[in-house]
Amino acid sequence: MSQLTRIEDIRNFSIIAHIDHGKSTIADRILELTEAISQREKREQVLDNMDLEREKGITIKSKAVRLLYKAANGRQYIFNLIDTPGHVDFSYEVSRSLAACEGALMVVDAAQGVQAQTISNVQMALENRLTIIPVINKIDLPTADPEKVSKEIKKIKGLENSPIFLASAKDGTGIREILEAIVRYIPFPEGKIEKPLQALIFDSIYNSYQGSVVYLRIVNGIVKPGMKIQTMSNKNNYEVSEVGIFTPKRKKVEQLFAGEVGYLTAGFKDITLTKVGDTITNAEHPAVQQLPGYKKVTPVVFCSFYPVENDDYPNLKYALEKLSLNDSAISYLPENSPALGFGFRCGFLGLLHMEIIQERLEREYKIQLIATTPSVLYRVHLKNKQVMEINNPSSLPEPNLIEFIEEPFIELTLISPSQFLGGMMELLQDRRGEFKNLEYLDKDRARLLYHLPLNEIMLDFYDRIKSVSKGYASIDYRLLGYQESALIKVDLLVNEDVVDNLSFIAHKDKAYDRARKLVDNLKTVIPRQLFEVPIQARINHKIIARSTVRAMKKNVLAKCYGGDITRKRKLLEKQKAGKKRMKRIGKVEIPQEAFMSILKID
Amino acid sequence: MDNQQDIGLYLHIPFCLSKCSYCDFFSIVTGNEGLKRRYITALIKEMEIYRQKKKDISLSTIYLGGGTPTILDGIQINEIISSCFSNFQIAGNKKMEITIEANPGTIEIEKSKILLQSGINRLSIGAQSLDNRVLKKIGRVHTKEDFLASYNAAREAGFSNINIDLMFGLPGQSMAGFEKTLTGIIKLKPEHISLYGLSIESGTPLELLIAAGKIKLPSDDLSNDLFVMAIELLKEHNYEHYEISNFALPGKRSIHNQIYWNDKSYLGLGAGATSYLDNKRYRNYQDLEQYIELLNYGILPVEYQEILSMRERMSEKIILKLRMMEGLDKNDFFNQFKTSVEHVFGKELYTLKEQGLLAENKTRYLLTKKGISLANNVFTEFID
Repeated sequence: MSQLTRIEDIRNFSIIAHIDHGKSTIADRILELTEAISQREKREQVLDNMDLEREKGITIKSKAVRLLYKAANGRQYIFNLIDTPGHVDFSYEVSRSLAACEGALMVVDAAQGVQAQTISNVQMALENRLTIIPVINKIDLPTADPEKVSKEIKKIKGLENSPIFLASAKDGTGIREILEAIVRYIPFPEGKIEKPLQALIFDSIYNSYQGSVVYLRIVNGIVKPGMKIQTMSNKNNYEVSEVGIFTPKRKKVEQLFAGEVGYLTAGFKDITLTKVGDTITNAEHPAVQQLPGYKKVTPVVFCSFYPVENDDYPNLKYALEKLSLNDSAISYLPENSPALGFGFRCGFLGLLHMEIIQERLEREYKIQLIATTPSVLYRVHLKNKQVMEINNPSSLPEPNLIEFIEEPFIELTLISPSQFLGGMMELLQDRRGEFKNLEYLDKDRARLLYHLPLNEIMLDFYDRIKSVSKGYASIDYRLLGYQESALIKVDLLVNEDVVDNLSFIAHKDKAYDRARKLVDNLKTVIPRQLFEVPIQARINHKIIARSTVRAMKKNVLAKCYGGDITRKRKLLEKQKAGKKRMKRIGKVEIPQEAFMSILKID
Repeated sequence: MDNQQDIGLYLHIPFCLSKCSYCDFFSIVTGNEGLKRRYITALIKEMEIYRQKKKDISLSTIYLGGGTPTILDGIQINEIISSCFSNFQIAGNKKMEITIEANPGTIEIEKSKILLQSGINRLSIGAQSLDNRVLKKIGRVHTKEDFLASYNAAREAGFSNINIDLMFGLPGQSMAGFEKTLTGIIKLKPEHISLYGLSIESGTPLELLIAAGKIKLPSDDLSNDLFVMAIELLKEHNYEHYEISNFALPGKRSIHNQIYWNDKSYLGLGAGATSYLDNKRYRNYQDLEQYIELLNYGILPVEYQEILSMRERMSEKIILKLRMMEGLDKNDFFNQFKTSVEHVFGKELYTLKEQGLLAENKTRYLLTKKGISLANNVFTEFID
């Protein structure tokens, strides 16, 4: 780091955008213009380096890059671009990244206009007192309507008077103007080099050679190798072994000072001790105050993962440990199911988060998984005034002990072309939604606001929204907190044995329909056994739905002569192998595939 | 006599007039006389090689199967049978059982007479059903009338030991319809009846037709009812149910097939044929040209051999013997393997008895009524 750099020349910013509005391409163009990467290194979407991120077109983990920009006024500026995830599940990551910045580019697609996520990101940025620069991207599209989109942007609270920039990241139009706007509108950091060190940890990754590598925004002071530092939340002391910047690769530097963004290693062995949101200070001259951190992230969606092959259990354990090192938002606890064997009850920030972790386990760790139906965290108030938190329907106490149950509710924002509003409202009504507000963004697009239980969007919600709106609607939500609901637990019994993994909690008005469906489905997937198998759905002690798998009557080999014997033995061996893979519920044997298909049914 | 072993000889004739939609046996549809000629030459060549290689075997039965062996003319069949006599020793002094399989429409009085003259004394006719509607659905080219004509011709020519193949669980089969077929067959008083459940083999046209919804099979329940009804009806008419799929009038059991079921040795000649000698199983190449070519060079056309482990021999023995209604003789097992069946399969035997699929008496284990219908559940217990 050059001694000549002044804090006035630093600009720290993020890019926020709805999925597919072009955040990553804008970032790429900026990187090219500031020559952070050579043409040779250039790949599409430089910052999204996880396979899954490229594939889904979303950013999952935050990343940072330091850029040098020579402005029109002849001065050289240091830009720190901190990439943020775009999905609601990762909004905590967004808030972390935003806390390390003074400004944000808000990218909106010129054809699609403002989306639900755009609005929630803006709200979050404004809460962090960031300066927002709206950018309308993809103006080269034939369907682009920048004028209409400008009007939509000016309707967003807090952006009424913002200057709006037009760009096409695809052909490079408007990028230089955006860079100039960053210099002009985004304030430089306020910190003081002379003050005691205060550095905000906004992310961390784990590396088996160096331990945790923490991503920092230096707010005040200086940090360099050899310095004794302290993590303020737990008063642990360390010695700094390396500091550096992102180019976007990590590059060692001599020191980092107030206003800068970079990384630090200090032999952190245990990632749980370097919490994101914590403040690092000088152990010898500590700062008086910790920086405001973030609200703690708590999982809201739960499901169980079981390895398809029982032998994979240790691998699954190892993989979850690994993944949680870089993603502290995952929680997992061992669990044992009579039908599925050993597995883990895992907690996630949302459905997408769950899906991504499941895919990473299957792809990166090659573990085939059975995932049970996702559940929310219920708050159960007992008659003895105790409150229990339950994330697994099977652990719900007996009904006579329960005073009432609360479930998490969300505020759902939905932006849709007005022609689909009727269908949307019908769907939301069916999901126990409570209408709150309807606001027209322009004559064909409206924003709907609903309150509904989080549980109602767990199964088949996104797909339904997509099909009702032909893919035009966008949704976003935030948690509102817990509210009392008329919830009951439905147990599923196969041959008189309760199958824990199939029990579910539902609203009393919906329990019967779901039970009926499940019972009927089970009947089709459970193969006939040597005896009759009753399948029952039970609430409390009352059977509400029932079906029967009749006993198998015939399973005979065809003829068996000389030439057939080997063939028939192979056939029997195949049957036997299939039988060995069966999962057992009491005396009933169910093929793995059948069990998986049951779990997938809503 | 120590080294001498009695074996059954199986000869495979892989030609058919047409292919049935359920069949995955090896056969080809051909009218190519040249190919048939070359095949017979190769088959006889194979006998000659065995004559040199295996001096210690003598035949106790001969069985011509297929395919449709009667697609060959009488002279060709005669040539094959007489080659057997000239190449192998014959066991014992009793008249040997020599069977040929035939499909209706490939046999009439004159041909039957030639077959009888060549030494063939048992005929197995593939009737499958007497319901023309059902026959058409499974792609059989013959009708009930064709079958009756062939059967009567064989009787008239002098065949005194005839088996009829029937099938249950066929598309379009009902209880009433099947009962009509059975009573029709019983009236003819064949010495032997084989009754197979239809199984859908992968890669057959029938499998595709079912998958496409073009053909519907009777439910497993109905299929089982058909089977149980047949067992009762045949028993009432003096037929002994001696193997899971086979029925015979007293003294008329198939000697050749009992060699398979009693886990005894057999030699199979012809393309795709299987042999079981000295606890080894061999299979010939199925490809006709390859089979013929190798024999032209004087090489045995064995494609595959399998040496059975002790455990495999035990489980095969149990499975085959349980297919026989007399069941598994405990002493027989002990004498062969020098260990008791309970010692090796105690847990499995116990489970099966608990499930009501297996019965035990002082000397034997045998399938219960329920066990007959669910035989595969029994057999898989003995497979690793």
